Amino acid sequence: MNRPNSVAVGTIVWLGSEVMFFAGLFAIYFTLRSTSPELWLFEADKHNFTFALINTLILVSSSVTCQFGVFAAERLQARSTGWKPSEWGMVEWFFLTYALGAIFVTGQVFEYATLVSEGISLSSNAYGSAFYITTGFHGIHVTAGLIAFLLVIGRGFAVKNFGHKEATSAIVVSYYWHFVDVVWIGLFLVIYVLK
Amino acid sequence: MKTNARLLWVLTVFFAFITVVYVVWSLLDTSHGRVEWAGTFMLGLTTVLMAFVAFYLGRVHAAQGGELPEDRLDGNIDDGDPEMGFFSPWSWWPIFLAASAALLFLGLAVGIWICFIGLGLGLIALTGWVYEYYRGLFAR
Repeated sequence: MNRPNSVAVGTIVWLGSEVMFFAGLFAIYFTLRSTSPELWLFEADKHNFTFALINTLILVSSSVTCQFGVFAAERLQARSTGWKPSEWGMVEWFFLTYALGAIFVTGQVFEYATLVSEGISLSSNAYGSAFYITTGFHGIHVTAGLIAFLLVIGRGFAVKNFGHKEATSAIVVSYYWHFVDVVWIGLFLVIYVLK
Repeated sequence: MKTNARLLWVLTVFFAFITVVYVVWSLLDTSHGRVEWAGTFMLGLTTVLMAFVAFYLGRVHAAQGGELPEDRLDGNIDDGDPEMGFFSPWSWWPIFLAASAALLFLGLAVGIWICFIGLGLGLIALTGWVYEYYRGLFAR
């Protein structure tokens, strides 16, 4: 019989509280939208949809590479045994995931800079507040996830024998990463598609 | 574990029902007449919260292959697994991390320059905490 992993169950319960945190942010967004619909008509068209879509696809693909890293961690394989992706260990997959996540954050920064140059800022109007607070808190979560990936990769380097404890930290970071990814899909649909 | 998951599924159904009631009521109310988004989102995602944890606990229960001794009426203390996992006996790192978080928020309140000190100390504290059992006597 397998005793449930308390780290994994604890992470899921904590992610439940994160659901409620983002529920608050979505509520802010929709409340502001219902109180000032004319702002939305005017401001929401300033987004570059293609750019945001590509950035979204990069984040979604980082979830896939993250999951391959988890498969490697479940094989207790920290490092690669060859150059082929099928021989990669957790470290290589997580470095790739890190790179994709970092591209996403860079794209966000670029998008913010473009929008500020077009006059949408955190304090410009209700649309600016709603947009920057929702996507900004999400961006902070992605950045925290990137730091978590570095810490897990460091653990992979720190041990001689990669064990179940290290695999557990890789798995719970992947839970977090998938969660942040799903939240972004929600934000993307609401902000860029639904408007 | 099975009971935990079932209780959360009951709550999922309850919150799903309440969400529908909330939407219908705000539409029927003549003084309001439209969907109230803040409450709808909070109730809707509370439903998601319950379903999320319930689903995961269900998966955990299916993977453990039987009932744990603590879930059985005829279970005894010594039926349990002696290996409960790893728990740090004591550590200074969490209090260090809490102090850097306090500096971070102090910085937001009185002057942004303190935030940078808080962030730097926070990264040190976080790294120290994560690697506490990976270095020195505990290196393996």
